[in-house]
Amino acid sequence: MMNKKAQWILWVGLVVILILYPKVFGIYYTNLFVTFAVFAIYSVSFNLLLGYTALFSFGHAMFFGVGGYGTALALKHIAGLPLLGALGIGLLSAIIFALILSPIVVRVTGSAFAMLHLAFGQLMYILALKLRNITGGEDGIGGFPIPPFSIPGVVSINMKVPENFYYFAIAVLGVSLWIMWFFTKTPFGQIQVGVRDNAMRIDYLGFKVPQTKAVVYVFAGAFAGVAGSIFTLFSNLIAADSGFGIMVSFGAVINTLVGGLGSFFGPIWGAAIMQILEELTTRYTDRVELVAGLILILIIMFAPMGFVGFLRWVRENWFAKTVGKTNLGKVS
Amino acid sequence: MDPTTAMYVAQGIHGIAYGMVLFLVASGLTLIFGMMDILNLAHAAFFMLAAYFCYQFLSLTGNFWAALLLAPVATAFFGILMERFLLRKIHAFGLMSQLILTVGVSLVILAGVKIFWGTESLPVKMPPVLSGLVMLGGMDYPVYRLFVIGLSLVVLAIMALLLYKTRLGKIVRAAVSDADMVNALGINIPRVFTFVFGVGIWLAGVAGVAIAPILTVYPGLEAQMGMDAFVVVITGGFGSLAGAFIVSIIFGLLSSYGVQFVSSLAPVLMFAFMAIVLAIRPMGLFGERE
Repeated sequence: MMNKKAQWILWVGLVVILILYPKVFGIYYTNLFVTFAVFAIYSVSFNLLLGYTALFSFGHAMFFGVGGYGTALALKHIAGLPLLGALGIGLLSAIIFALILSPIVVRVTGSAFAMLHLAFGQLMYILALKLRNITGGEDGIGGFPIPPFSIPGVVSINMKVPENFYYFAIAVLGVSLWIMWFFTKTPFGQIQVGVRDNAMRIDYLGFKVPQTKAVVYVFAGAFAGVAGSIFTLFSNLIAADSGFGIMVSFGAVINTLVGGLGSFFGPIWGAAIMQILEELTTRYTDRVELVAGLILILIIMFAPMGFVGFLRWVRENWFAKTVGKTNLGKVS
Repeated sequence: MDPTTAMYVAQGIHGIAYGMVLFLVASGLTLIFGMMDILNLAHAAFFMLAAYFCYQFLSLTGNFWAALLLAPVATAFFGILMERFLLRKIHAFGLMSQLILTVGVSLVILAGVKIFWGTESLPVKMPPVLSGLVMLGGMDYPVYRLFVIGLSLVVLAIMALLLYKTRLGKIVRAAVSDADMVNALGINIPRVFTFVFGVGIWLAGVAGVAIAPILTVYPGLEAQMGMDAFVVVITGGFGSLAGAFIVSIIFGLLSSYGVQFVSSLAPVLMFAFMAIVLAIRPMGLFGERE
């Protein structure tokens, strides 16, 4: 266990690095980092369902997209909407959407839950394509005004400057991450894990299983919505493919699996690894699909516990002499 | 017959033809899921691969019938390789690993197809016997659609005979209900799994060849068919062939009449139907378990 002081130094160091990052690496890598952060938070919200409650939301993009479209539509149609208002509308639309779905989806588990989400996600994708006069079809909604971040009478920061937007995005996503982490540590978070491990027992103890699932579901949906909202503000565009596309849904699954299941920070590792891989493959080859497919197959075949599992393996085999050795392929 | 009725009937034929092709794909999917608990997300990729094989065989031999025989078999061969060397090794890691693996395979197939055949859509010519129209009961029908319906019915009949009249079929049906028990009785279940997987992919392959002359061959075939087949399997109930059949036909009709009446919202009808069914029966129309 690390002591308190070392922990504080680590946190302060992390914050200093995050603040200095855009100054050191320049605009290109700053934007890359915002993209990474968005998908990291989105994947963590996915893992909140899968890793902590064993609910496999295979169409998680729908929350991402609903959040994004909510923000985009609000900014397009409401003149003079403040930045936080737009973000709030994105969040709210994701919450409402999750509330609508929750009575149906909390009744099923396992692969039925997964397939239901795949199908609903695809329904949202098709709706976004077909309701052309609202969503703009394939072209999506773009070119809406990005309001400055302002506290009336105090400060007004122009969000069109990438560096300013970086700080805003990192702050929002950091707070979201902290809230989700805190959530897993509360007594309710423990019940959530209990539902994953043995739902019948939790029911026996007098907790309401469907309602617990519904709360976690709405919670996870809300933060996927925040990620989508930030992404929309960041790229000033949301389209059917970037919001509801099947690859967005797969992205959450892939990040979580590459990073490591059942670890809170696993999806963040996964998002980082996939971002770096994508950056490298697009630079050297245009066969991105081929590389992505091969990587997925190799990871599943040889490191099914992901990056966090790999770290654990390294620690147990190379640094701890007393602990029994484990295999890479072993499911713990 | 007056033109309006004629139009309705023609649309109905289109719908049933599409529904039958959909069923060929969905039946393989639901069979594999029912028996092996694997959701094969690469299923539609194999469907697309078969269409490309059909194009290739046709341009080599010029004989559609040879392509119809060989392309599905070649596709099934790749499917068996995937089952034997990839899926079998990770069976213990659970649903999610299998999903990711099949996504990986489908990405590789998609990339391979683009490398070998490019991204433009390739025309597949119907054999002269099947092109044109036929006169039946005072109306013209496109022959090829009728051929697709007939072909699907023949395949369906062979499958039914195989499943319900042979010893192998009995083993497969027993394995669907309890694979461990069948294994304990001394039957080589991994080999049966490989066989069923191959047959499932073969069915998708037949569908791929059947659809190639209608839609032409292009990489988007995968996405187009894949989602429809999944929705069929979900709505019909996992592992249920009867459910897959009925829902496929309903979807085929919904899409062909939907295009006619509410053209912009036609794809949504299918999902709306699914949502209604699932709200009432979460396990699907004919599903017995979650």
